[in-house]
Amino acid sequence: MASVDQEEGNAGVEAGTDSQGRYDGAGSDSGARAAADGNRAGIGGMANPGKYGIERVAYWLMRLTGLGLLAYFIGHIYETSSILQGKMGWDEFLAITQTTEGHILLAIVIGMCVFHTVNGIRVMLGHGGVGVGRAARPDYPYVPASQNYRHKLGIYTAIVLAAIAMMYGLAVMFGV
Amino acid sequence: MASAILRESTIMKIHYGTALAAVALVAVHVLMRLTSGGFAESLEYETVLANYRFLPYALMLEIILVLLSIHGFNGLRVILLELRQGPRYEKAVSYGCVAAMFALIAYGSRTIIMTNMGMV
Repeated sequence: MASVDQEEGNAGVEAGTDSQGRYDGAGSDSGARAAADGNRAGIGGMANPGKYGIERVAYWLMRLTGLGLLAYFIGHIYETSSILQGKMGWDEFLAITQTTEGHILLAIVIGMCVFHTVNGIRVMLGHGGVGVGRAARPDYPYVPASQNYRHKLGIYTAIVLAAIAMMYGLAVMFGV
Repeated sequence: MASAILRESTIMKIHYGTALAAVALVAVHVLMRLTSGGFAESLEYETVLANYRFLPYALMLEIILVLLSIHGFNGLRVILLELRQGPRYEKAVSYGCVAAMFALIAYGSRTIIMTNMGMV
């Protein structure tokens, strides 16, 4: 997911600076300098999801859900290996996961999985040029063509579908 | 470094390919939990053992294991390389992720193979 996400990561690059935040001579001096200073915030600045809109939120959610799912996957492989200890070993491990906390954790995993999948498909489509509009000369205020309403809608859809899937998962696990 | 063996664009194509294939197979895996007479029943020892001993299902689990390990550890590699760069760091991250991926595949395969062959 690197390329398009990196593009999302550059959502906050302002006029007068290049993608690394260096001053490139364009735009007013003070504005460009302020933008360059803003881009010196380092990882803390990059991590700020509030400043750059829903694309930056999606950027972070994509990484956090990815790491969460990898942690769950490793845990799941370890959990299922308890079957090698026979029925007793399996039932003992299952008892740990079949609790209210276990079900809530699994519901969060379901939500992470759905968001990661739907947003991942959006990123893949964007990477392939789908829904990013026609190539055009960049003009002020330099809004990236890929950050249009289609992709915003894709991000919101991913969040809503994740919430629905979590609720469905909870209903199944708690037998509602 | 992984990119010395494979181009980064090729790695990303593999990343996307494994993602799409995993989505389809994980959907089947989750549906098996929901259609095997209820969620709780599908997790009973006998049901799970029967699933593992059914060769096509065991093969599907093995494929899911490989796909998700490749996708997951490449994703981790990408995240770590975004945070910091440098020849030694990049090499360590790439080799570390490949090693962790093989370790997880080996550990998961052990469960699938031993259960499928009736060694439980």
